[in-house]
Amino acid sequence: MARRELTELWRDGRLLLAGGLMLLLLATAFAVGWQQQRAIDGERQAAQALDYDAWIAQDERHPHDAAHQGMHAFKPLPPTAIVDPGITPYVGSTIWLQAHRQSELRFRPAQDATGLQRFGNLSVAWVLQVLGPLLVIVLGFNAFAGEREQGTLRLTSSLGVRPRQLLAGKALALAAALAACLLPALLLAAGALAMQGGWDAVLRLGLLALGYALYLGIAVLGVLAVSALVPSTRLALVVLLALWIGGVTLAPRVASDLAREVHPSPSRQAFNQQMDDELEQAYRRAWRAQLGTDKRWGAELPLNRWGIALKIDDEAGYAVADQHFSRLWDSFARQQRLQEWAGLAVPLLALRGWSMGVAGTDFAAHRHFSVAAEAQRRLMQDLISHDLVEHADPLGDRHFSYQAGKNLWARVPRFHYHPIGAAAALRDNVASLFVLGLALAAAAVLAGWAVGVRKP
Amino acid sequence: MRRTFRNFSRVVAHERRLLWADRSLWAVCGLLALLLGFGLHNGLAEVKAREQVLAAIQASQPQREAALADRLQRVLAGVETPDPFANPADPASVGSGMGARSALLPYEAMAPLALGQSDMQPNYYRVTYRSRASFMDDTELESPWHLLSGPFDPLFVIVYLLPLAVLGFSWNLLSAEREQGTLKLLLSQPLTALTLVAGKAALRAGALLGTTFVVLAGVLLAARPELRSAAGAAALAWALGLVAAYALFWLALAVAVNALGRSSAFNALALLAAWVLLVLVLPVLMNLAVQAASPAPSRIELATRTRLAAVEGLNRYSKLLAADYRYVAQPEVLQPQDGKIEVASRRRAQYLVGRDTDREIEALTERFDTQLAGQQALVARWSWLSPALVASESLTALAGTGSERYLQFRRQVGRFHGEWKAFFEPRLLEGRAINPDDLRAMPRFAWVEPPRAQLRAGLALAALQLLLPVLALAAWAAWRLRRLRVV
Repeated sequence: MARRELTELWRDGRLLLAGGLMLLLLATAFAVGWQQQRAIDGERQAAQALDYDAWIAQDERHPHDAAHQGMHAFKPLPPTAIVDPGITPYVGSTIWLQAHRQSELRFRPAQDATGLQRFGNLSVAWVLQVLGPLLVIVLGFNAFAGEREQGTLRLTSSLGVRPRQLLAGKALALAAALAACLLPALLLAAGALAMQGGWDAVLRLGLLALGYALYLGIAVLGVLAVSALVPSTRLALVVLLALWIGGVTLAPRVASDLAREVHPSPSRQAFNQQMDDELEQAYRRAWRAQLGTDKRWGAELPLNRWGIALKIDDEAGYAVADQHFSRLWDSFARQQRLQEWAGLAVPLLALRGWSMGVAGTDFAAHRHFSVAAEAQRRLMQDLISHDLVEHADPLGDRHFSYQAGKNLWARVPRFHYHPIGAAAALRDNVASLFVLGLALAAAAVLAGWAVGVRKP
Repeated sequence: MRRTFRNFSRVVAHERRLLWADRSLWAVCGLLALLLGFGLHNGLAEVKAREQVLAAIQASQPQREAALADRLQRVLAGVETPDPFANPADPASVGSGMGARSALLPYEAMAPLALGQSDMQPNYYRVTYRSRASFMDDTELESPWHLLSGPFDPLFVIVYLLPLAVLGFSWNLLSAEREQGTLKLLLSQPLTALTLVAGKAALRAGALLGTTFVVLAGVLLAARPELRSAAGAAALAWALGLVAAYALFWLALAVAVNALGRSSAFNALALLAAWVLLVLVLPVLMNLAVQAASPAPSRIELATRTRLAAVEGLNRYSKLLAADYRYVAQPEVLQPQDGKIEVASRRRAQYLVGRDTDREIEALTERFDTQLAGQQALVARWSWLSPALVASESLTALAGTGSERYLQFRRQVGRFHGEWKAFFEPRLLEGRAINPDDLRAMPRFAWVEPPRAQLRAGLALAALQLLLPVLALAAWAAWRLRRLRVV
């Protein structure tokens, strides 16, 4: 039965046309992603190495000036970004680790793009997420409704074929048609990723494939259910297209807006203002308790105590910054979680979370890097203030005439970043996978019920 | 002619009764109004929140200035001992933070129509004499997931959903009549296919555009009093005109596809393919092409070069940097004497390092703006390929949230930063103390809106790019319909 369905799809040219277009877009997206990932990641790794060399090679100078000049940390772009770049265009890539204050990653690619960027980014993930279900609809909208109109449905059931068997055959045929379109792309990706990122990347690709298979599975069963339920092909097409448009264009924006209302995040101005105020209070408290004055860097503080003051200042600030950034990042993470659960109704939302989570291009990965970079900054700060305390001037009015050299620079280690591993990414995103599985089960139940409702 | 018009009115009236009874007119117009309303709600709320931030910054500016003037008076009168790092008489303190002024970009009255780049590009910068690398790369704080999803603003409803409402109403305009067998009946009357289609199309255009106009104009006029002026009304009229032209494009396309005389199923698939191609796929492909044709320079190179420039600066001014602050041993250096003040060597050095860094990276940062302007020019040149792009670009420009206006803002802020440094540099290097006159003479940022004529020319071109295909499609459809044979 599945074979017969496939032959039909092939004969009326739909599979060739729609599937061919899809494959073409996928290939373009893949080529672009591959080229960009290689170029960007290569440049970042080179820059990261150069940056540390420049740090080590710098002249003798006062350690605090060296800290002001600081170091850079460049966020690596995982090989799986070829498949799903996730939020990459909308988050920074570079962080300048400097004295005094935690900074954020700067330079979002979308800043250097025109308004076109907001229509979306061509990526394998985008093609599969947005156009994948449309392909299923085009291939399957008339699966039941068309046969009913032609009368062949009655014929088939008079032969003793049970509706569920018919459903299974049609689902299998659609799945095989999709596989024919997508398997070449998957194999290509597996080859490229094995070359770029080794086993970790291939494992991630396997997880990605699992997510997309579930997603397209939901689409197949959903399309067959609607096709079986409604009286005519015309209505089937209209209903399915309405569902598709609602699911891929409307729902993500509505869900995102609603999630923001439930878990609001502050404006830049409010965030900075609040953190500045609280930092100021924390600094003052620490200065009063440990230095006996609450005027920071005032005239009363002898210069030979600046080293210890810097240490006190920094340590007082760490907790406040942690608290503020955690709160902000938690609000982003909660917004995302909420939308992933909405994936029960709109599977795209759960799939998006799963896809970028497993690809290592989601907000959790970004946050993980930010935290690691900040840890490096604090390490550098602590080493430097410790050195300043050790070299405090015995006369009492000197501070900046002290110059440190290579010994101190070399004590700050190279920044090595280890991204979240594939297993951890799987663990963090298992909820989305669960939602997708649940949605698939629901679609299967719906389709099973739908084929029995109408008389052939 | 008169008979044609009478027939046309009859068709319109008949269709109205049909659609009315079918309830689909109600359903589609109601849904469209609802979606537009939700978009407007989001757009208005977003712009209001951001305008409040701007208003708060603006309101705090005079207070900060008065407080600074007050402190300076007390220091000059000898009532207050100045802090080493917050000394109102010291150009290093005033220029690097105490006297900092904000540069603000106001929102246009039409901003709620299209949020554009406003969720990413800041409408304010706090300008000091520190290097531009320290403040010019800031972005708005927004969940990246939300940026990826895109906002649900009126522009989204117009660009993505309005075409679907139009197509949903008109995909089987003629084919349904043929399939039900009513077409033969109708055309056996003294009625031409052209008049029939024109009547049906006119009713649909009237209903959808009427709904759109009432909701858009009504809500915007009620919520944005600035629009109730001559300039505001003109902007609103432009917006409605562009929306109408965009909707007409889709209607003309539906009519043309119907004029092919194929089945309803064919029409549905063909129109859907057009929508997917023009609204979803082409903009994404064009984004790719534009970025490939005018690529942004490497931000990594910028970061590396900025740091190298800073290192060179530290080396160049190492003597000044190694000089210790003298205020500990001699507190009197903090007090201005006869219009002079001792600016600490280290602070002079820090200014110079920043200044030199800016000079070093100026050409590179300029290239980012040039490349972006180049991308924008490419978009303007090729957007006619997709009416969705024309509508989106022109309405965003009208709303004042397009990348071009933000680019202008950044350029003006860059110039202001230059003026600010030029004001403080001689005072800092020559050790001239800040006096009350200086506080009044410090540069102020005032946003200069680019000439309106330029915007209007862009909008007129967009209208043309939308209307020409409408005319072409309509003419072609009319030609086909005249030749239509039903028997």
